[in-house]
Amino acid sequence: MSTEGDLLHTVTADTITDTRRRVGRAMVWGAGMLFCVMTAMQFMYDTDRSIVGFNTWRPVLFAYLLWATALCAAQVIVNGEKGKRTLFVLPAALFVISLVVFPLLFALYVSFTDWNLASLNGPQPNGWDNMRQMWGDAFYWNALKNMVYYVLAVSVEYVIAFGLALLLNAQIRARKFFRVVFLLPLMLSPVAVSWMVGKSMLEVRFGPVSRLVRELGFEPSFFGTPEMARFMIMAMDAWTFIPFMMIMLLAGLQALPREVIEASKVDGATGWQSFKEVIFPLMLPVSVTAIVIRIIFKLKLADIIINVTSGGPGGATDSVTSFIFREYRDRSNVGYGTLLAMVYLVLIVIFITALLKLVSRWMERPA
Amino acid sequence: MKVDLYNYIKAAQKINRRQMLKGTAAVGAVAMMPKAAAYADGHGNVRAEILKIPGVGAGSPTDSDWQKVGEMCLGATKENVAEGEFAGVELTFMGLNNQNLHNFLFRGFLKPWEAYTGAKINWIDLAQADYNARLQQSIATGTVDFDIIEMGAPFEGDVLGRGMASEMPDWVKDQIDMDDYVDYLKAPVGTWDGKTYRVSIDGDTHTFAYRKDYYENEEFAQAWADAGNTTPWAQPTTWEEVNAQSKFLVGKTDPLTGLDAHGYLDPLKGWGGFGFYFLENRAAPYAKHPDDPAWLFDPDTMKPRVNNPAFVQAIQDVMDLIAADAYPADQINADPGTTAFQQFLAGTGGMLNWWGDVGSSARTSDTSVVGDVVGFDINPGSAKVWNSQTGAWEETPNVSPNNAYIGWGIYVMATVDGDEKKKKAAWSAAAHLGGKDLSLWASAYPSGFQPYRNSHFQYDEWEEAGYDRAFVEDYLSSNADSYNHPNAAIEPRIPGIFQYYSVAEDELAKGYAGQYGSAQETADAIAAAWEKITDQIGRDSQIALYKASLGL
Repeated sequence: MSTEGDLLHTVTADTITDTRRRVGRAMVWGAGMLFCVMTAMQFMYDTDRSIVGFNTWRPVLFAYLLWATALCAAQVIVNGEKGKRTLFVLPAALFVISLVVFPLLFALYVSFTDWNLASLNGPQPNGWDNMRQMWGDAFYWNALKNMVYYVLAVSVEYVIAFGLALLLNAQIRARKFFRVVFLLPLMLSPVAVSWMVGKSMLEVRFGPVSRLVRELGFEPSFFGTPEMARFMIMAMDAWTFIPFMMIMLLAGLQALPREVIEASKVDGATGWQSFKEVIFPLMLPVSVTAIVIRIIFKLKLADIIINVTSGGPGGATDSVTSFIFREYRDRSNVGYGTLLAMVYLVLIVIFITALLKLVSRWMERPA
Repeated sequence: MKVDLYNYIKAAQKINRRQMLKGTAAVGAVAMMPKAAAYADGHGNVRAEILKIPGVGAGSPTDSDWQKVGEMCLGATKENVAEGEFAGVELTFMGLNNQNLHNFLFRGFLKPWEAYTGAKINWIDLAQADYNARLQQSIATGTVDFDIIEMGAPFEGDVLGRGMASEMPDWVKDQIDMDDYVDYLKAPVGTWDGKTYRVSIDGDTHTFAYRKDYYENEEFAQAWADAGNTTPWAQPTTWEEVNAQSKFLVGKTDPLTGLDAHGYLDPLKGWGGFGFYFLENRAAPYAKHPDDPAWLFDPDTMKPRVNNPAFVQAIQDVMDLIAADAYPADQINADPGTTAFQQFLAGTGGMLNWWGDVGSSARTSDTSVVGDVVGFDINPGSAKVWNSQTGAWEETPNVSPNNAYIGWGIYVMATVDGDEKKKKAAWSAAAHLGGKDLSLWASAYPSGFQPYRNSHFQYDEWEEAGYDRAFVEDYLSSNADSYNHPNAAIEPRIPGIFQYYSVAEDELAKGYAGQYGSAQETADAIAAAWEKITDQIGRDSQIALYKASLGL
C-alpha cells in the first residue's frame, strides 16, 4: 500500500502497472483518432471533396460516444480510484459540452453560410456576406436602438419595484395578501399578457381602458404612434416583471440587520435619512443583482412585441429577438438569422461583463 | 365546410331541433324519391344519403359519422382495389389537427378504407403553427418520415420543385374526376413540369364583404350625390370607387352602431406573411393582365414586379386613405385578424376582404353585429391595368380576384415510389379522401374545407339537404365566381413564397408609418429585399420553378 499522496480521501490504494496505463491511454487516443478521422472523412464527403463517407453524420456521433466512453473508462484504468472520483463529474461535463459547445460551433458555422430552408442547395459558406448584410440592415440596427430604450426602462422599473418592496416590507394590513397579489403578473405568461392586456383591454374600440379614455374625453390610440407604442410595450413588460424585481428586493429588505436600522432611528435619523444613508446602501448588492438579472430578461424581450405589434409601427417596437424571430420563422433564413443571434450574443456578453465590472464595487456590502 | 360557416348557417336559418328533424326526415323522404336519384353521374343516391349523416343542424358530426361516410364512399376505391390487396402495407400520414378536424376526419374516413384494403395508417398530427417549420425542416434535412401529406399549394415549389413527391397515376385521375375541379384548381395548380401530383380537398380565395345597410342609407346616398359624385351610391366594383367611398365616409356616422363610419379596412400590420395577400387584393386588378399569367415577377428574370406602377398604385391607394384619416384609430396596428373579427364583424368599417369564414362568423360570433347587413361579391376590379410587356397602362377595366392560398391538397411522397404495392396503397388513400362524393360531404359539414368542385355548387343538393337556398347562393357564389374567374390572380407556387410576403410586410409597415418618402420608395425597398431572397434561394432555380408553376 502506498504511503504517499492523498491518504485522507483514498479508500483503496491501487497498484497500476505501466501496461495498464498504456492500455488506458491507447483507448483514449485510439477512440479520439477514430473520431477525428471519421469527422474529417465525413466533412470531405459532405463538401464533395471525397467519395468515401456516410449518408448522415450519425456514425460520427457514435464515434464521439465511443471516445467519450473510452475517456471515462480510461480514467479508472489509468488512475484507479482517483479516476472513479473523476467519473462523478466527467460524464456530466461531456454531456454539457456535447449540448453547448457542439451546437455553438455548429451555429457559428451556420452563421457564415447562406442557409435558407427554401434553397435547393442547402447551406453554402458565404464568407462575410451575412456580416456585410447585417451592417447595412436598417431593421437590425433599429432593433438594437430600441433595445437601448427598453434597457433604460429598467431604471424606472427598479424605482417602482423598490417602492413596492418597501411598502410590502412595512407593517401594513393584509400584507401577505398583497404580496401574493403583486406577484400575480409574474405568474402570467407574457403571451397571456399580450392578449389579455395588449389585444383586449387596450383594444381601441371595446377595450375597457379605451372606453375609460374615451369617457375622459380623449380619443384612445395606444399603438398608433412610435413613441406611444414603445411606451405601451415597456409598460406591459414592466407590469409583468416588476414583481420579479420587487420580490428580490423584498427578500433583501427582510434580510437587512434590524439593529442597524434601529440604531439609525435611535441616532435620530428621519425616515428619508434612514433610507438614504442606511437601507439603500445596504441594499445595493441586491439591487445590482436584481437589475442585472432584469436586464438579461429584458434583452430577450420578444413575446409581447410579436403578439401585440409585430414590431410596428414601422419597426418602432421591434426588439432584436422579435426581428430574429421573423427572419427565422417567417423567412426560414437560417444562416443570416443565426449570424444576427450570434452577434447579439457577443454584444450581450460584452455588455453584461462591462456592466458587472462597472458595478462590482457596489456588489459588496459595506462593512 | 369551415366550422364557423356551418354554425352560421344554422344560426342564419334559426332552425330548432324539431325543424331540423323535420328537415332531416324530409331529406330522407326526398332521397327515396326519383328526383333525388336523378343525378346523371350515378352518385346521386350516395350523395343524398351521405348528406343525411348526421343531418344539417343535428349537432357536430362525430367519428362514427366520419366512418359511416367513409364506408358509403368506398365504391370508387372498390373499382380499383381488390379486398385485402394492401395487406401488410403501412403508411404514415402527416397532416394538421386544427380544431380537431383535418387528420381527425381523415382517420374516420380512412378507417373503412383500411378495413377493406388491409393497409394500416400511422398518423403525424401537427398544429398549424408547427406545420411550416416541420415541413421545411424535413425538406431541408432530408428527413421525410411520412408517405402522404396534407399540404397547401403554396408549398408545392418547395416539395414538387425538389422532386420529392410521387406522380399521380392515371387511374387516380379517373377515380377522383379532376375535370370537376373549379377552374383555378386545374393545371398548372397541382402540377409540376406537366406532371400531376395533387389531390385537391379544399379551395381558398379572398372575396369582398360589404355592408349592405351603408348603401341602403338615404342620408349617405344624398350626401354622396351632394358631393358631386356622378356614380350611384352603391356597392363599389372598382378599387377607385372603394377609395372614393372610403374618403367620403370620413366624418359620417355608422347607421348600425352610431359610431364613426369607415370605408374599406386595410390591414396595415404584418401577419406572418399572410398580410401581403391584402395588398395583393388591391394590386391584382392593376397588375394581373389578362394576357399575362405572371404578375408578381418577370418569369424570365425573376425581377420583381412589386415596384411596377401597378403595385405602386395599390400602395399609394392605401397611403391616400391613411393621409385622408379614413381608417379607424390605431389601424397601423391592425393585422388582418383585427380588421375582420374586431372591426368589420363588430360594426366598424364598411368593406373588407377575407376568406370564407368572415361571413360564417357574422351571426355566430358574440361580438358580431353585422349578420343581417353583410353582402358578398368577388373582389373589386380596376379602371385600368398595367401591361408589363409594353410597360404602359391600358385604360380598360380589369377584374382579377385573388385566389389567396389555393387551399389544401393531399400529396404522396416519392418515398413510396420504389414499392409498387405501397405506392398504389398511398394513392388509393389519397384518392379516397379527395373523392367526388366524400368531398361533397366535407363541403357541407364542418371539416375545415371549402367547396372546390363545380359539383359542389349544385345548390339543389344543398337545399335538399336542409340548407337555406338564399344564403348558399349569395355566399357561395362569390367563392365560385372567384374560383372560376378567367383572370384570377393565382399564387406563385415557388419555394419560399412566404419569405417574399413576410419581408414585404416589414417594408410596407415602414412605408405606412411614413418612414419612406413615397409609395414608389416603399415598393423599391420591397423589390430590393425580394431580389436578395431570390439570390439566396437561387435565381436560376427560382426562374425555372416559377415558370413551371405558371405552366410556361
